[in-house]
Amino acid sequence: METPDIAAGLRPLDISTSSRAYLEAMWRRRDFAVAMPAESVRARHQNTFLGNVWHLVNPLLTVAVYLIVFGGLLGVNRGIPNYLLWLTTGVFAYRLTSNCVLGGATSISANLGLMRAVRFPRALLPVSVVIGEVMTFTFELGAVALVALGTGEGISRRWLALPLVLVVHSMLNLGGAFIAARLNDSYRDMQQIIPFVFRLLQFLSGVMYPIERYLNTSHAWLHRLIVWNPIVRILDLYRWVFLGTPINPMETLQSILLCAAILVIGFRFFVAAEYRYGRQ
Amino acid sequence: MSPDPRQLSIRATDVTVDYEVRGDAKGGLRARLVDRSASRTTLVHAVRGVTFDVREGEAVGLIGFNGSGKSTLLSALAGVLPVTSGEVLVAEEPRLMGVGAALLSQASGYRNIRLGCLALGMTADEADDRVDELVEFTGLGEAIHRPLNTYSSGMRARVHFVLATAITPKILLIDEALAVGDRRFRATSRQRIEEIISGAGTLLMVNHSLPELRTYCERALWLDEGLIRLDGPIDEVIEAYSAEG
Repeated sequence: METPDIAAGLRPLDISTSSRAYLEAMWRRRDFAVAMPAESVRARHQNTFLGNVWHLVNPLLTVAVYLIVFGGLLGVNRGIPNYLLWLTTGVFAYRLTSNCVLGGATSISANLGLMRAVRFPRALLPVSVVIGEVMTFTFELGAVALVALGTGEGISRRWLALPLVLVVHSMLNLGGAFIAARLNDSYRDMQQIIPFVFRLLQFLSGVMYPIERYLNTSHAWLHRLIVWNPIVRILDLYRWVFLGTPINPMETLQSILLCAAILVIGFRFFVAAEYRYGRQ
Repeated sequence: MSPDPRQLSIRATDVTVDYEVRGDAKGGLRARLVDRSASRTTLVHAVRGVTFDVREGEAVGLIGFNGSGKSTLLSALAGVLPVTSGEVLVAEEPRLMGVGAALLSQASGYRNIRLGCLALGMTADEADDRVDELVEFTGLGEAIHRPLNTYSSGMRARVHFVLATAITPKILLIDEALAVGDRRFRATSRQRIEEIISGAGTLLMVNHSLPELRTYCERALWLDEGLIRLDGPIDEVIEAYSAEG
């Protein structure tokens, strides 16, 4: 009774099984990924007097605290020319990673309303967090550049490499944001744990002191954690840009590959649970 | 009876939907660690195997008692809730209009509409072209620039309706959303829905007002505890349903 072709135009609802269709659907919504963080920034600072100025003041105050403790009190700045700039670079760059991953973790739960109203590739939520963080980070880089000029470093041709460094850094951050987003959707407790993970990582990433000095630890796992920590190499790249500290090309290449791998793994890990997001 | 030549727009085959409810802890932390079945999430079998076809130009009402799985089924057809087993095939991306969700509650209605358009896949230019017309359609006047969390449910429904129909959908799913609107909004939205259906669109609608359902739909599905109890012309289904009720 049924003519066979009435179902001819039908297709499955689920597109997350095809990476290509999924990426295309994301690309079509690129304007959304850019407009979205602007909204959250607006919402976040609506009620504070200084508003977006806090984006700069907050990390600068952090730099001041570390300068007093690690530079003044503990004296780890021995042997580091221009410790202020060295520290500033580390604090700002490290903060970008931790902001991206923590923001990625909450990107699903913070947008349940939007997810229930409109269907779109959910990966756009962590992506838009990272885009937003990168946009504010470019202003912060301006502050780092001012510190560089103020401490007599002068403008360098190496600054031209900054966009490339930021691309590598963003691959890592986006991969981390994807992983944190899925984990936090399954286990809401993650949100509480992630800040502590990043506090530990901060000490293992050479933000306030050169981590190489402590490589001869008696704990093999700690040694491995430091050597494989991609953030260490990323901070090296920023310090090479602003301070001209030498970098090892082989290690740099390794860390680029590692960041790319984390991005791909993170993306696949996130999309594999696409249809679970926001279903509570 | 001659076969209906119209193309299918939705084919649901043996669809089941379970979802988890969180925060309904049966015991303390120790119970959760010791006994996995005392976990924090409860599994709800909301839709337990439904099969049906919907054709282009068809308007179907979903009726059933509270908790019979109507809203869950609509969410699954819209792709915002995953099906646990079975398959949903669609001719076009379905658009769901619900009431519960606030989009970005701190942003204004205007910004929500623009952002919603972008999430639907419009470019920034396209969204800017459309947003004024959509805002006009909501009839919210100056209130459109107030944050969404100051809106009444009827005002929010207007924003949702505009988003659900911003890109003329081939498949429109409406979950109780029109019920909260006032008479004027119901009249304008009705006109828009009829335009969509007459353009070979498809409507699936949950509405507890049976007379209203009858004005939109010619066919009804009666869902009872996650299963289809009756599928047929709306008058027959309503009659059987009312006899039960």
